[in-house]
Amino acid sequence: MMRPIGSIAFVAMLLALVLVPWLSPPALIQFGTTTLLLATLAQSWNIIGGYTGYASFGNSVFYGIGGYGTAIAMVQFGLPFGVGILVGAVLAVIFALLLGLPVLRLRGHYFAIATLALAEAMTGVVSNLDIAGRNIGLVLPLRKGDAFFYELSLGLLALATLTVFWISRSRFGFGLIAIREDEDAAGVMGVNTTLYKALAFLLAGFFSALAGGIHAYWITFIDPLSAFDITLNVMMIIMAIFGGAGTVFGPLVGAILLASISELLATEITGMASLFFGLVIVVAVVFMPRGLTDLTRRFPGLGWRYFRENLRLHRL
Amino acid sequence: MQTILAVDRLTKRFGGLIAVDDVSFELLEGEILGLIGPNGAGKTTVVSLISGTITPSTGKVLFQGAPIAHLPAFRRSRLGIGRTFQLMKPFPGLNVLDNVAVGALFGTGGGKSQLREAREDAAKWLAFVGLGHRERQRADELGGPDRKRLELAKALAMNPRLLLLDEVMAGLHHGEIDEVVSVIRKVQSRGITVLLIEHVMKAIQSLSDRVLVLHHGTKIAEGAPQAVLNDPKVVDAYLGTRRV
Repeated sequence: MMRPIGSIAFVAMLLALVLVPWLSPPALIQFGTTTLLLATLAQSWNIIGGYTGYASFGNSVFYGIGGYGTAIAMVQFGLPFGVGILVGAVLAVIFALLLGLPVLRLRGHYFAIATLALAEAMTGVVSNLDIAGRNIGLVLPLRKGDAFFYELSLGLLALATLTVFWISRSRFGFGLIAIREDEDAAGVMGVNTTLYKALAFLLAGFFSALAGGIHAYWITFIDPLSAFDITLNVMMIIMAIFGGAGTVFGPLVGAILLASISELLATEITGMASLFFGLVIVVAVVFMPRGLTDLTRRFPGLGWRYFRENLRLHRL
Repeated sequence: MQTILAVDRLTKRFGGLIAVDDVSFELLEGEILGLIGPNGAGKTTVVSLISGTITPSTGKVLFQGAPIAHLPAFRRSRLGIGRTFQLMKPFPGLNVLDNVAVGALFGTGGGKSQLREAREDAAKWLAFVGLGHRERQRADELGGPDRKRLELAKALAMNPRLLLLDEVMAGLHHGEIDEVVSVIRKVQSRGITVLLIEHVMKAIQSLSDRVLVLHHGTKIAEGAPQAVLNDPKVVDAYLGTRRV
């Protein structure tokens, strides 16, 4: 739900984010770009994982395909970035359809495992493709100016979030939620479950691929191991769930907060950073399993009881 | 009256178990057919075969003259077949209103395209089944009887031509049963055909135009309620044969 105050706050936040490159040091712009891309990934995962209830571990594959599509188009065919990133996105969409139709028949853990294997498989495939530079990777043309990439990432995140906002209040979105809650009941009520799941997977793939394309061009380098890194997929899931999966703004909040916490920890207590980061996640999942946005939903009257109830829910 | 549904020599095997064995019957437009039988007789399987959550091993199902036995469930629901589940399947994370709105958004002919209209429709059906005051509650916070009402509202919001009701009265007390009975009467008066699975004989007797009895997957009797319930074969199926 979007109340007037909510939309004003949203526009103000967006404006502040747009102005960041003009007001802050380069390090912050770079951190901002990384965070925005992560938030986009978390938001894409939200479509298939949060709304549709299919915990995909294959979204980082779309990210990799988007990066490689961009790199191959630019390096091997000398195409401009705008065309390259579209090539990457189209490839990812085709891949999502070809893959989704069989894999989306699996439910629950089986779906997660099947998609988990994909990242490994893709690393192997791409490492053996001449056009993709085998296991050495590809070096993309250099474009100076972090601000460009920052604004591009912000635009992409806004697009992904608007899409999710539309999903949250559309017939399509209700179909997805019905599938998440009970797939058999959804089918009996008239939801074309196969088509809807495929579309959700495709949308998630589309936005992930665009993020991958921007990242590859920004870093000017892509290789199989970093492109299909499974920890990236774990990150987006954690961020989406931390903020609130299946909500419009949850994944954004989760991504921005977790990226900031992780960055702070990495600079303050370098060695133990990942330990504390893990602790933050464990505590968050135990005390607020529905994510941060669930707190705001109950804001008036939120007390210790809420956390105690969640504790009991876990039988801890 | 015209035939709306024809089930022809329907059989469903689960491995070695024959859940539904060569069952045939017809449903006439606008009537209420009671489907009864002891536990495990195959009643729910028949409903699932008609609604499409499972496909038959052999046999045909014709809805308004067209074969549907191998259509996916969502296509059948768009043709106008709605059902409730004996083991209730509310969407737990959604509130009661939105649970019903899903039915209005999809359902017969593809349903409404706008969420706002669907919610208005949903509110109407919730009032119809007596759940209007629970709109904002989460579905998993409802008690048993209210969940039954929610199942009914969800199926009705699909605007079905044929409604398959799988034990919507189980676990309700007398007053609540009377309420649901009157809701089903109202449903029938809207021209909706009903297939009613029920163990509550009072309801079966007062609602059904005809009754069909299943036992071990086969049809053992069919006809007017009084005649069927007094049929010795039916009494045997329910109470067992007297051993002297």
